[in-house]
Amino acid sequence: MIMSFLNRLKKVITGEGEPEDKKPEETTKTEQPQVESEPKQPPVEEKEPEPEPSTEETVKAEVETAPQEETPKEEVPTEEKAAETEEPETPVTTEPEKTEETEPESPEEESEEAVEEEPKKERSVSMTLLNAEENKITRADIDPNFKQAVMDAGAESVAICFQCGTCTGACPSGRRTPYRIRQLVRRAVMGLKDDVISDDTIWMCTTCYECQERCPRGIKIVDVVKIVRNYAAQAGYMAPAHKMTGSFVIKTGHGVPINDATQELRKRVGLDQLPPTTHTFPEALEEVQKITKAAGFDKLIGYNWETGEIE
Amino acid sequence: MAEQEFAYFLGCIMNNRYPGIEKATRIMFDKLGIGLKDMEGASCCPAPGVFGSFDRTTWASIAARNITIAEDQGNDILTECNGCFGSLYETNHLLHEDPEMKDKVNNILAEVGREYKGEVNVRHFAEILYNDVGLDKLSEKVTDPLNLNVAVHYGCHFLKPSAEIDIDDPIQPTILDELVEVTGAKSVPYKDKMMCCGAGGGLRSRDLDVTLSFTREKLQNMKEAGVDAIVNVCPFCHLQFDVGQTEVNKKYEEKWEIPVFHLAQLYGMAMGVSKDDLTVDAHQICVDSAL
Repeated sequence: MIMSFLNRLKKVITGEGEPEDKKPEETTKTEQPQVESEPKQPPVEEKEPEPEPSTEETVKAEVETAPQEETPKEEVPTEEKAAETEEPETPVTTEPEKTEETEPESPEEESEEAVEEEPKKERSVSMTLLNAEENKITRADIDPNFKQAVMDAGAESVAICFQCGTCTGACPSGRRTPYRIRQLVRRAVMGLKDDVISDDTIWMCTTCYECQERCPRGIKIVDVVKIVRNYAAQAGYMAPAHKMTGSFVIKTGHGVPINDATQELRKRVGLDQLPPTTHTFPEALEEVQKITKAAGFDKLIGYNWETGEIE
Repeated sequence: MAEQEFAYFLGCIMNNRYPGIEKATRIMFDKLGIGLKDMEGASCCPAPGVFGSFDRTTWASIAARNITIAEDQGNDILTECNGCFGSLYETNHLLHEDPEMKDKVNNILAEVGREYKGEVNVRHFAEILYNDVGLDKLSEKVTDPLNLNVAVHYGCHFLKPSAEIDIDDPIQPTILDELVEVTGAKSVPYKDKMMCCGAGGGLRSRDLDVTLSFTREKLQNMKEAGVDAIVNVCPFCHLQFDVGQTEVNKKYEEKWEIPVFHLAQLYGMAMGVSKDDLTVDAHQICVDSAL
């Protein structure tokens, strides 16, 4: 079924029959007397695109993941349109797209080299459309409330994202890690809650706002990231180091509490040995602790009030 | 008698790691005739990209509690940390725009006998220097003009999100460069100047390697521009460039040693504050080449 789609697609693009049958094409065209000289060009053109797919694919791998995430039925029209605007590649290119997508996810910055070397292997192995069952996203993966929850929590603007990718292009984390902010937004909007919150890369964002400042839709992208992380934290995907930071605030009121060396320095320059914060005022620390309790933050990080440790 | 007074929000890293920044600020504002009133019992802001990522309600509630301390004083808040500025400013904005969230936060604050009213502004000290004090008055106070080529590091939460903060252009700002040049130092342009130091959003504690790759890239770009020092307006960026250089050195077996100053320390140097008071001797990276 997929192959027949690919063939149809090929016909749409080239406006002719089977790719191998270039002769039929010529015959069709020679039937039109006036175009005699032209038929010889298409074959040439057809050869040119061949070396291209590799570069084309790399670009697509970056820019297009949405099709993979669509439900299979919607996929057909989307891909068709996408392909039409691209160079007339052979339809096979729609597949390496997916495998390559997982490739660059190695944290090293060598991804470019890797992509160049691997396609040959990939291409044969990677008829991922034929393994569609494994990659299929179904209704069961979608949490219909998640998008609304993301919006309710303050990122209403996410609904108008048109997936241009400007955010990913601006992202300094995306230049060195597999973190792809455009994908995160897309998956959040689709309601792929479990998929998104279990993804370690969502923690690669430094909240630098480069994406948000450049978003042509004015979407509060960093809010989206933070809200998605809130859900991830609730589901237990919080790093031990982060829980520790949380526990410091419960214990001292400070994410970075004072140490002996700094107390000495403070004394030396004539400042109070302890700053006039929760470090100096125990009743103020109590207030902070009550707030963390009331908000359920102690439970979120598994703070044990008796031992002062994370469980 | 000070004509103007601010609620002085300390935060964590400045007062608990780099007290010279706090000292320099207190001396400078005394010279400028602006009062800084301690916010007794204030806590961690708490960090926007960290606590905001864990639980928004907890984050906004602790931030709102800090703001209520300034409300009791009737003073606008001054902070010299981008992270604290981000948390307090954003919370102020959020609770102003979102009555539901405000109710939720106030229900929590009620348990400690506090109420967030939304009566004060949250301001970054660099913006106060620029807009309230002004470059002219600042230059009058410069007694020891500096002869330095400086890489200005804006950091992320000082100007962004610009739709809400609106201090300067977030992509090509000049405010800090102008402030730096008042001291006689020269702000040198360098590649990807607006890029993050890599520490924020909880990344430093979650994945130090990624953080250091940010920092190293910034250092390389600064070095290419031939700078003598890095100047920041955020103690966390400050820590990331100071401690981070030693970490980059270890990880990449390199030898970075670009001195790092918070803007308050740079002004301290230009206004004759002693090296001792600036606690620059306690920095991980030796600053002597820039003194």
